[in-house]
Amino acid sequence: MAKHSPVIGRYVTINVDGYEYKVFYLRNGTGVPVMCQHTAGCHNHQWRGLLEDESITKDYDIIAYDLARHGKSDPPLNREWWKEEYTLTASHYMNFIIALSEALELDRPIFMGSSFGGNVALQLALHHPDKFRAVIPVEAAEHAPGFYLDWWRHPHANAAQVCASGVWDLMAPQSPDMDRWLTWHYYSQGSEVFKGDLYFYSIDHDLRGKLENIDTKRCPVIMMTGTYDYLTPPEATENTARQIPGGIYIEMEDIGHFPMSENYPLFAVYLKEALRIIDERT
Amino acid sequence: MALNVRDWAVKFGEATDRDPTIGAMARYYTCTFLWDMGTQKIIVEMVDGKTYRINTDPQPLDAYDFALKASPATWREFAKPIPDPMYHGIWSASFRRDLKIEGNILVMMQNLRNFTVQFELLRKVGVPV
Repeated sequence: MAKHSPVIGRYVTINVDGYEYKVFYLRNGTGVPVMCQHTAGCHNHQWRGLLEDESITKDYDIIAYDLARHGKSDPPLNREWWKEEYTLTASHYMNFIIALSEALELDRPIFMGSSFGGNVALQLALHHPDKFRAVIPVEAAEHAPGFYLDWWRHPHANAAQVCASGVWDLMAPQSPDMDRWLTWHYYSQGSEVFKGDLYFYSIDHDLRGKLENIDTKRCPVIMMTGTYDYLTPPEATENTARQIPGGIYIEMEDIGHFPMSENYPLFAVYLKEALRIIDERT
Repeated sequence: MALNVRDWAVKFGEATDRDPTIGAMARYYTCTFLWDMGTQKIIVEMVDGKTYRINTDPQPLDAYDFALKASPATWREFAKPIPDPMYHGIWSASFRRDLKIEGNILVMMQNLRNFTVQFELLRKVGVPV
């Protein structure tokens, strides 16, 4: 008897700022919708553990999509994208997420993302608080400079291996070998977009001096960061959460920058606490 | 107590050459690097995935492609079976601690997969400082 997963994959075509994207997403569950954003240069398999976690999918409708140019979501179909350098901006990124939410007719979803997905979660809370029930920025900070590097797609090196091994020690050494190497494997597949994603992460995303304008009564913000994250270390996230009126910070012990992918069982403990807080506040 | 550097070199060379993760993609792993541990310097020369030579007494003009430099205390942290946060890799320690990466970094990037795996063998072998 074949073992089938309850997770279903589909495509939906959306228009974002004139760009036509055919977007691939994985979905499972019933209840409050949760949009899940993968990390830069990666794809939605990072959320494989959550998508099949019955203790969460019985109450939540989990939607893990591939951002355009990642995984099975192609680059824009109506542009000669190969003639332009890809640099993701905060505005386009937010418009993509909102267009996808509307296309799927989601009712004020929770938005959760890690790393550059966490940083856009902060942007959404600031600029579009009424479109989201709450946000969970994972491994995020008000500003995250230093990772917009030429090494990610240097023609004299094996970019797949540079990206995959370059993020290796963003993960905690305690995380299981299989899950760390799966994450490594995912990172070997996205080297052509990694740097462009990091334009948003390290350059265009800068909320310094703006965090006090986030209204957590309209859109609660629950931030979570692992102790082994060197890019946005715990103190950076805690400092960010402290500047958001009503912002909450949860520190995750013994996990790194890709918690949902590198050690899902441990991440789930913290995620359930975040969802409990959101349930209380909404 | 720190390992004698010559004993360390034998153990580290054997651990490298036996490691199946390096062995799985070893064919073109060729580079020479310096590890400056403050009180001890070491030059490791890798050729086609095998340890060709470990120089435990480098002289001023001995050549290498790239170098990792940090305090003895940092190297001892690298060698813990489970390092504390920020001592758990070359990127984390260069971003958040005193590790400096110098020289021809392109060569390090060209060999990054295997170099990263080899660096983590310090958790099993220890360091000579």
